[in-house]
Amino acid sequence: MSGQPLLSVRDAHRDYPHSGEPVHAVRGVSLQVTEGEYVAIVGPSGCGKSTLLNLLGAIDRPTTGSVTIGGTAVSALPDKAATHFRLTNIGFVFQRFYLLPVLTAQENIELPMAEAKVALAERHERARELLGYVGLAARADHRPAELSGGEQQRVAIARALANRPIVLLADEPTGELDARTGGEVIALFDRLNREGMTIVVVTHDEKLAGAARRVIHMLDGRIVRDEPLLRRA
Amino acid sequence: MRFQLAALSLRRHASRTLLAVLGVAVSAAMLLDMVMLATGMRQSFASLLGRNGFTIRVSPRGTLPFDTEATIAQAGDATAAIARISGVTAVAPVLGTTIHVLGARAPVTAFALGVDPAVQGDYQLLSGRDPAANELVASDALLRATGARVGDTLDVAVGFDPQLRTYTGRRRVAISGRARFTYLSADDRAAALQLATVQAMGGADRADRASLFMVRTAPNVDPEAARVAIERALPRVTALSTAGAVAEAERRLSYFRQLAFILGAVSLIVGFLLVTTIVTVSVNERIGEIAIMRAIGVSRIHVVQQIVIEGIGLSLTGAAAGLVLGVFTAQWLNSILRGFPGLPDAIDFFLFQPNSAFRALALLVASGVAAGIYPAWRAASLPISATLREEAVG
Amino acid sequence: MTAALTARVASAQRIDSIPPWKAEVRTIAVDERLAADAGLRVGDLVVLAAEPGNASGDTVRISAILQRRADPSEVARSEYRIRTHLGQLQELIGYGDRVDRYAIQTTGGVAADSALRRINALSFGFHAYPSREIAVETSKTFLVVSRFHRAIGMITIVASATFLLCIMLLKVDERRRDVAAMRLMGISRATVVRTVMLESSFVALLGSLFGVALGFAVSAFVNAHYQAVYRTPLRFAIITAGTVTYSVLLSLVLGIGAGALAARRLSRTPPLTLFGR
Ligand SMILES: Nc1ncnc2c1ncn2[C@@H]1O[C@H](COP(=O)(O)OP(=O)(O)O)[C@@H](O)[C@H]1O
Ligand SMILES: [Mg+2]
Repeated sequence: MSGQPLLSVRDAHRDYPHSGEPVHAVRGVSLQVTEGEYVAIVGPSGCGKSTLLNLLGAIDRPTTGSVTIGGTAVSALPDKAATHFRLTNIGFVFQRFYLLPVLTAQENIELPMAEAKVALAERHERARELLGYVGLAARADHRPAELSGGEQQRVAIARALANRPIVLLADEPTGELDARTGGEVIALFDRLNREGMTIVVVTHDEKLAGAARRVIHMLDGRIVRDEPLLRRA
Repeated sequence: MRFQLAALSLRRHASRTLLAVLGVAVSAAMLLDMVMLATGMRQSFASLLGRNGFTIRVSPRGTLPFDTEATIAQAGDATAAIARISGVTAVAPVLGTTIHVLGARAPVTAFALGVDPAVQGDYQLLSGRDPAANELVASDALLRATGARVGDTLDVAVGFDPQLRTYTGRRRVAISGRARFTYLSADDRAAALQLATVQAMGGADRADRASLFMVRTAPNVDPEAARVAIERALPRVTALSTAGAVAEAERRLSYFRQLAFILGAVSLIVGFLLVTTIVTVSVNERIGEIAIMRAIGVSRIHVVQQIVIEGIGLSLTGAAAGLVLGVFTAQWLNSILRGFPGLPDAIDFFLFQPNSAFRALALLVASGVAAGIYPAWRAASLPISATLREEAVG
Repeated sequence: MTAALTARVASAQRIDSIPPWKAEVRTIAVDERLAADAGLRVGDLVVLAAEPGNASGDTVRISAILQRRADPSEVARSEYRIRTHLGQLQELIGYGDRVDRYAIQTTGGVAADSALRRINALSFGFHAYPSREIAVETSKTFLVVSRFHRAIGMITIVASATFLLCIMLLKVDERRRDVAAMRLMGISRATVVRTVMLESSFVALLGSLFGVALGFAVSAFVNAHYQAVYRTPLRFAIITAGTVTYSVLLSLVLGIGAGALAARRLSRTPPLTLFGR
């Protein structure tokens, strides 16, 4: 690994206040991800993977420690700036797709672009391009309820890519999918990474973890092992 | 896209949205009606009184015009005295009395006004000409009741002496015209004659007397100054300006104004509650979606805007429907209140005034906006990851 | 038979002692408003005059204070009332031996009709009317007002019905998840409908009881307020058993109806789509 790290976490802690004593979801994680890497974070349920990913995506803020993305210390940004940072620099994919049910596939992809004030014509064109990229050109006018889980997740990935993020973060993206549709998502991530996208996924799915080039193991809020897999160098 | 999302969210629960719009429409209509009621009477009464430029009424001390049978003595001198006051441009003396039209059938009673046809504001001629001596102009109702026509001659009297069983002040009077009486209702049987004729018919009781003077002032003169001058010049009269008369009428009809105020306030509150409830519930249902939008980078202010747009959409559509509904119900309510006996035709209880109507509706829409802001801001400020977690579990 | 004469007495001036040339004066009754405003009490002496400043007044003693009748037609009128002996008023206003009207008591029924006919046939110059007709004539104003109230009431009912329907729909919609869970657990559609309806009836009942209490409070306030404003014992708002029954029934019917409608809609929807909003 060489060059400036794209993502950098330094001694991050995240405590959730809880009746009685606080829950320490992340306790002292330090981590660096370089541009173009494909990282999988694995570990037993409840070990703090999602919490860490939310810190990386500027959705959440560490109780102590810092998170820097592309040179910006996002953990210190006020809400408004953090929101804008998420919009323009981060692509987030969720386990449960989280598409807006009232919007069509195309409109869901256009939403972040509209928020980023991309001109209408460009928005349409890029949304259609992205739908083609994820193989759903024919489903542009379908609402989420009319799409299968795998299709919904591919629309969600297209939405995550809409504003050309510098990193794609995914929390159990295959968790709700069967093996075949999960495979489609894995293939898509693979292709994205080969084309230069930096990806961090949290997963239980061994196939997905196996596709990554670096696997970080977590336990009880800490990183216990960080191994590069060089199978497909 | 905010507008699109707002519209789509409203469409998602179409029946709920429809009901809410209907509810807002009914309360907007009620609000509008109450605003129309609160201002209508005053406006139409003021414009009725102000017709022909008469700004002051002079009646016997302590009375309102035609409230009692009392009269002002030495009417000729009083007319001259009022006319001398600076700012006064015309004085119209009026003597009211009851007349009996005798004929083949039972006598018909009517309200008769003795006026100076050159300066009078009590009637408008519909056909024929002003009355000369021993002539009268009659309302359509009187013509109908007597079966007479313009040009006919009537046998009229002002009183009946039960001991002698004779009519007093009886004479033959020709009908010179048909008229509409400004301050009487269309069903009132009424006639206008020359003041001198009515005074003469009344005998000693009515000689040189008037019930009322209507006073016209120059447009650049403050009627209030003239009013005070009249009361100073003539100690036995009460002079009432249009504003004073309107205030008096409002005092007597304060019930309607208060009713209008209370019901207007209630409608506003109901409309506000309705929009608040709908928006709050729909926001609570969408907490998860709002968290998703926030997660992918939609700003808090845009989330709030989208929800406020929904509130505005509801209240604006409701207000627009309410405008139409309100104008129709106002007509209906007005036609009911127009049934008050003896009401002059020109009085309307409900008067549509674009200014106050739109101000009231704007208030309703503004309350709709306010209704959305709090729940929207609260939802947009929830911690994103925790909300996603909770909503995803459900 | 009683004779009545109404006239405007322009002034009633209070004095301290009866004129020395009179042994005793006649008595009048004044209404409570005048008594309150002028500080008059039974036994006080006043001078009545037909016109203000008229020297030819008549000194009288107040022998009674009358309560204003609860007569709607007098509500908005602000003048004071006094009652004198008939002859005294005739004298005071120089009216001679004349009266405005007679009230005639009959044994009722047919006797009233025949008396009416005979008076009208025999007398020349005045006309007898049955009291019923007079009442209709004088109550026209109040018919108009009550028609107006009824119209306003109708609008209010429409408004509150939509409001109620809306709230009920929302309340049931809020229970989507519960209903879905119940349906998935295998609870029958009828039970679901009944549960939701029970809840909405309860809400409607509670709401209407609260509304009745509010109604009583508001009408007490309205009565107190307008009785003070118009100084009359007239009751402006009366809540009868009928109005209570009507409004409670209406809100119950609307509430339960709306609940049933919404519940049926919910229970018809397949349980899984209830989850995925
Ligand atoms: N908002 C929260 N409030 C309280 N505790 C939380 C919250 N979010 C996560 N946790 C707790 O933090 C720990 C880590 O959670 P999470 O990061 O979701 O784990 P993972 O994704 O690895 O399953 C868990 O014990 C979880 O219960
Ligand atoms: Mg997780």
